[in-house]
Amino acid sequence: MLPLKDLRHTMESCNHCGQCKWVLGPKTKGYDYAEICPIHQRFGFDAYSGQGLLNIAEEILDGELEYESGLVDLIYSCTTCGACDINCKSVRDMEVLETILALRARVVADGWGPMPAHQEAAGAVAAHHNIYGRAHEQRFDWLAPEVKLTKNCTTAYFAGCSAAYRYPQIAQDTAKILNAGGLEFTVLHAEEYCCGGPLWRTGQIAEARKVAEHNLAVLEKQGIDRVITSCAECFGAFRDFYPRLGPVNFRVMHITEVVQQLIAEQRLTLHHREDRKVTYHDPCLLGRLSEPYVPWNGEIQAFGRHEPPKQWRRGAQGVYDAPREVLQAIPGVEIVEMVRNEENSYCCGGGGGVAEAFPDFSQWTARERCREAGSTGAAAMVSCCPFCQSALEQALGAADGGMKYLDITRLIAEALG
Amino acid sequence: MSLPKQIYAELEQIVGAEYISDREYILAGLRHAMPSSPVKPLSPAAVLLPGTAEEVQQIVRVCNRHGLKFIPTVSSLIGFAYPTALNTIILQLKRMNRIVEINRTDRYAVIEPGVRHGQLRTELMKAGLSYPVAAVGPGGSVLVNFACSSGDNHNQHGASRTNRYILGVEWVLPSGEMVRLGSLANDAGWFCADGPGPSLRGLVKGYAGPFGGFGVITRIAIGLDEWRGPAELPTEGRSPDYKLRLSPDRHKVFIFKFPTLDRLRDAMIEIGKAEIGQAVLKYFNATAALLATQSANDFWELWESGLFQRELSRPLYVYLATHSAEETAYEEAVLREIVAETGGEEVDPAIRAIYENNMDFFILVGFLQRVLRLGGAWAPAKLSADSVHHMFEIGKAIPEFLEEFAAKRLIVDAPDNFQIISMEYGHLAHIELLFLWDRSMPAWGEIPMQVMARSHETEIRHGHHGSMPPRSMPMLGTLGPLYSNCHIWSEKIREAFGTGR
Repeated sequence: MLPLKDLRHTMESCNHCGQCKWVLGPKTKGYDYAEICPIHQRFGFDAYSGQGLLNIAEEILDGELEYESGLVDLIYSCTTCGACDINCKSVRDMEVLETILALRARVVADGWGPMPAHQEAAGAVAAHHNIYGRAHEQRFDWLAPEVKLTKNCTTAYFAGCSAAYRYPQIAQDTAKILNAGGLEFTVLHAEEYCCGGPLWRTGQIAEARKVAEHNLAVLEKQGIDRVITSCAECFGAFRDFYPRLGPVNFRVMHITEVVQQLIAEQRLTLHHREDRKVTYHDPCLLGRLSEPYVPWNGEIQAFGRHEPPKQWRRGAQGVYDAPREVLQAIPGVEIVEMVRNEENSYCCGGGGGVAEAFPDFSQWTARERCREAGSTGAAAMVSCCPFCQSALEQALGAADGGMKYLDITRLIAEALG
Repeated sequence: MSLPKQIYAELEQIVGAEYISDREYILAGLRHAMPSSPVKPLSPAAVLLPGTAEEVQQIVRVCNRHGLKFIPTVSSLIGFAYPTALNTIILQLKRMNRIVEINRTDRYAVIEPGVRHGQLRTELMKAGLSYPVAAVGPGGSVLVNFACSSGDNHNQHGASRTNRYILGVEWVLPSGEMVRLGSLANDAGWFCADGPGPSLRGLVKGYAGPFGGFGVITRIAIGLDEWRGPAELPTEGRSPDYKLRLSPDRHKVFIFKFPTLDRLRDAMIEIGKAEIGQAVLKYFNATAALLATQSANDFWELWESGLFQRELSRPLYVYLATHSAEETAYEEAVLREIVAETGGEEVDPAIRAIYENNMDFFILVGFLQRVLRLGGAWAPAKLSADSVHHMFEIGKAIPEFLEEFAAKRLIVDAPDNFQIISMEYGHLAHIELLFLWDRSMPAWGEIPMQVMARSHETEIRHGHHGSMPPRSMPMLGTLGPLYSNCHIWSEKIREAFGTGR
């Protein structure tokens, strides 16, 4: 993790241009759905934005801003969805999200963070290896006897806490899909711990590192060279957090990428037809934030030169096509896009610890996303992240507008017949 | 410094507790916006997010009662949005964000300050309407660009500057009184700026606008043009590498290079006489290289290759936007004839392809902020409008004062990084010179004022009209007497209408 002081160039470079708050021009479709930052849209003050958080970070770094509870609330109300980061990076060489995450780590180091709900999650992970505090022995309760696992296999399915405990259907469907495609895989059983992503993103670096290093050691020991996830949060942690801890000797694939490949190789056929119009919600951590972390240790010289050249992660290489191609391969499915999609996707409100610490604001964000989904005329909103599912299902339930949430693995599993 | 409790309570009563704050961590978001200046702005005493013009009026009256200064702003991109005195509050007008009306018949739109270019421009496309978008990015306020700041744009050859588009205006004076201008003053609607009823358009906007210094503009109507493109932007690809192509039957981009600025000038004038083209401009070359690349390192690789210096030191960008393929063919034929007669030739096809593949340059200019990438610092040393001929005379003199800064490596060596945009089919033109410097340079804070001072000296020496309005008090004092003592009467206007900040 970069300490806050190493991100001073970003803090000092911000010109308050506003690109972090708005959908990029060429992707804008009209008056509505033009805002991209949930906290700015909800609270209005510039302090609630990527730009504002950079300003706050700089003042904390320079000892010009004293901590108070409202400040800590503000810092933790950001969903860390990274829309600001990707939009900023369309025009600038800045690391907005890195700075926000470093700011959270600094807040924790200074004894002002995280929020109590985040501490609770860290405690649960320490005691039970999952963020919900459920018994570790139940982690693989989802694993039905008919699932075919392959011993000594180098491909592992990493279910993650949410699929394991809250949405076991996702894990069951994923296993069913992999079996149907004839793809050999194993699971880590009791050795699977929380990926650490929720702890990392709330500034609890030491706690996150502990579980991540455990998982890394287990994967190494078992000779795993490919990890499959069905959870965008786990996917994002493997792609972005684990490489910060050291070399990662395995590929990470999301289940949609695996299915895309199986279909292309004609190993999987989706033949069961059900006519439905759906809209696809890009999870932040599967989309714009999923490009692998690339360490850079260099110097920023005059006139912006990065020496050695830096490989920027600007969000273009996220997993956008695979879920869409898979959905298109399901007979009867028609996809209608929301205005804010792909790298301009609007957050579900469920990430960055916001759902736990600020459930009302989390649901405000989710409702905004559901409003947009509803405007497409789709009957269902499809995504592939249990955190998104939790936030969006709750908002859809409260709205009672008839739209359903579906995890993409459910649609694929149903299409298998 | 926070507000006294009683004043805070009065203001809170107006906007509601959710829309006012004097907490330091909230104000932190409004005191950092000057990476190109060594001076950190003063902290505002509070920030308010009023929701209506009536709330603005009440706030202004409270300010007057208690001797507070106020600054209205929306996106706070420019330095004028920041306090220079204590006891200043910021009114961020972003909650006043309604498109009040889009009148397709009479072609105008009525908007509040919080409506952004990205929103209005794309919303109007659905109705086949458009307006010239100033190059500030999709998050820039339309109202501010039209009524309060300079607002030059790439399309003003076939359109005009934004000040020519202002119609009815609703204006909260520094006294708190509401004034309605143009046809609006007689409840006749928003359609006209100049009556029946008082105009004062020149006072509201002038050339570059008072940047919110004369009260608060709470609603304006702007005139609209026809949009000759699709109802929705046909954008392909992903950030930062979008492709935005419009039908070549009706939208075409050309870039020519000329052996001398005089030849380029002659071509621009002739194109204006022929009344063809939507956008006709000599564009910046270093800025073009920044827009064409995705990182500072990419820029330097391109710049050091010399391609953009070779091909774009005297370029003429022409964008045709027509009603039919036949009209496009006609305009292209006329254009090519003029270019041949004036000695122009096409630039490297790879450069033209950049613009053919992303016509956003002529729509929302969504990537303009890339000019900030080289250290975050840039400034215009020239900003004025006059005849096409005069603008080119100013351009020719730029190396006289700029090269010494480049030789010392204080700024990017780009003496051709100026633009001249034809306006109203060449009846006028606009010039702007951007110089790029970096915070890591020694004494970087002094560079912009030194460049501007040398620029003014050059103007006085040549009798050039290149910097309107004068951008600092010392320059105002020097140039004012040469401009009919504008420094005296502008001060009188400021005394009468200024907010005292």
